[in-house]
Amino acid sequence: MSANAASLVPSRERGWQMGLGNMLAKENGAWWRTRRWWVQCLLWLIVLNGLMALAIKSVESEPEVALEPRASISGPLMESAAITGLIVFVAIAGIAVPIAAISMGQDSILGERHSGTAAWVLSKPISRPAFILAKLIALGLGFLATGVVLPGAIAYLEVTAFGGAQLSWLAFSGAMGLVFLNLLFYLTLALMLGALFHGRGPVLGITLGLLLGYQLILQLAPWLAAVMPWTLVGSAGQDGLPLAGLLALGQPLPTVAPIIATALWCVLFVAVAIWRFRREEF
Amino acid sequence: METNGTPVIETEGLTKTYKGVEALKSLSLRVSKNSIFGFLGPNGAGKTTTIKLLLGLARPTGGSGLVFGKDIEKESDEIRRRVGYLSQDPRYYEYMTARETLRFTARFFYEGPRAEIETRVGETLDLVGLADKADRPIKGFSGGERQRLGIAQAQVNYPDLLILDEPAASLDPQGRHDVLEVMERLRKHTTIFYSTHILGDVQRVSDTVAILNRGELVAQAPIEELLARGQTAAFTLTVQGDSASVEARLRSQPWVTGIEAISRNGTVSWQIRVSDPAMAESQLVPLALAGGGVTVSEFGRNHKNLEDVFLSIVEESNHER
Repeated sequence: MSANAASLVPSRERGWQMGLGNMLAKENGAWWRTRRWWVQCLLWLIVLNGLMALAIKSVESEPEVALEPRASISGPLMESAAITGLIVFVAIAGIAVPIAAISMGQDSILGERHSGTAAWVLSKPISRPAFILAKLIALGLGFLATGVVLPGAIAYLEVTAFGGAQLSWLAFSGAMGLVFLNLLFYLTLALMLGALFHGRGPVLGITLGLLLGYQLILQLAPWLAAVMPWTLVGSAGQDGLPLAGLLALGQPLPTVAPIIATALWCVLFVAVAIWRFRREEF
Repeated sequence: METNGTPVIETEGLTKTYKGVEALKSLSLRVSKNSIFGFLGPNGAGKTTTIKLLLGLARPTGGSGLVFGKDIEKESDEIRRRVGYLSQDPRYYEYMTARETLRFTARFFYEGPRAEIETRVGETLDLVGLADKADRPIKGFSGGERQRLGIAQAQVNYPDLLILDEPAASLDPQGRHDVLEVMERLRKHTTIFYSTHILGDVQRVSDTVAILNRGELVAQAPIEELLARGQTAAFTLTVQGDSASVEARLRSQPWVTGIEAISRNGTVSWQIRVSDPAMAESQLVPLALAGGGVTVSEFGRNHKNLEDVFLSIVEESNHER
């Protein structure tokens, strides 16, 4: 049988969507049709759930303290094996998974630009926003599934079945949403910096600096806690639990400003990445 | 095949400057439909820059360009829907197989039906002789195989315009021959705009040629016209027999301005420069045979090949600077 141009249906995607479906399918394929998905699953199960299990085990000999909605946070709550496990999970998920996301996010733009595959793809009918969005969506979904949802679901079982706590699955899902929002901040930041810079140094320096050096930054400018993602998964100092931890425990959140600000940062980073990539020459 | 006068590519004063350096200086080009247009020039002449501007991979700093009548800056998306492109140093996703690469490429152009896309991918693999390696990851491909894959991906979408940047550069003689054959086959359906520095290939397949030097267009003409410019006022005459008397007769002609002889195995070959080529064309052989005792084994007017023409045009343009 011979194909001919008339029997093929031309793609109908136009404008910024042009090529998005095909590029997204290719990016998703790189996650789900290669060994990447199970390597990521295995990695996060070991790192996140393994360390959480160790944390639970290390305090399970301590007397369990009932969860009280308005209890002082760092005192009795932290003595609970379940809560300790939860905090460990959120803290590690808030740092380790973003490190992987930063690494893959920056490489998805810089790597393709350096290797020449970006120029090849962009010579086809694909819009530049579609190129960036396909990367973002595929990486976001990949890390959501392997680095948040799967380990999160197992963490929920660990907390409820072995840690002795009764947590609302809805509240716990909300907490995982904040873990993902934190991850998305670093992923979109890496994508944006990958579009802005041609070298890996500034991209990795800025993203990892913000991720790993936030305690230092907060000492210099404590007000940044309200507009950065740090309190979503980490302590902002004093005796505060991360917002994700509070949400999982059904505690009222002292502020939603970091949540809104982080979401806005993500939108801004994507917008800047698209703007810059539109102007890129190959 | 006759080319159609309709322009597929038209540029007017197209200019590109990189950090103060003019890579392309006011290029005005016209490529007709169904032509095989050879775009020649030394390394760094601006050929790849021109191609990138046509495809929207770079933005012009001056002038304008149209492909299929569409603006290369504002309507690049629509242009790329109808173009197939092979870059000078094609790079693909190494983990993909050749079939996956072609499928991925085809799906930018077609949304279905899936079976038709697969058929088209299979045909294209056959066309470039990669069917037996279709399901191997590209990372194991040789340079020639990558180039074949490049040609395959460039024409999987039945492009109206095929832009090839040095398509035969990394191929062995057989590979080059195959590529040229594919190009000749494709010209029935498409216009081919290709850059190269392999001038023998250009002479074989192109109908129109443009020569770029240091970012400037120094010649653009049908290939016959360009080769005609390379005609010289010199002839080759080879005889066996009494060569001394023939040479004496030739030297006595007022329109013969110089003779150089090479003797080998009983034959003498003369390079004869003349002031009147028409006279030489009609009189040289009769003059040689006039005294008898000789046979003429070779006679003809010397022509420069495309390489000579190319070099003289480029040198001329360098001297004018």
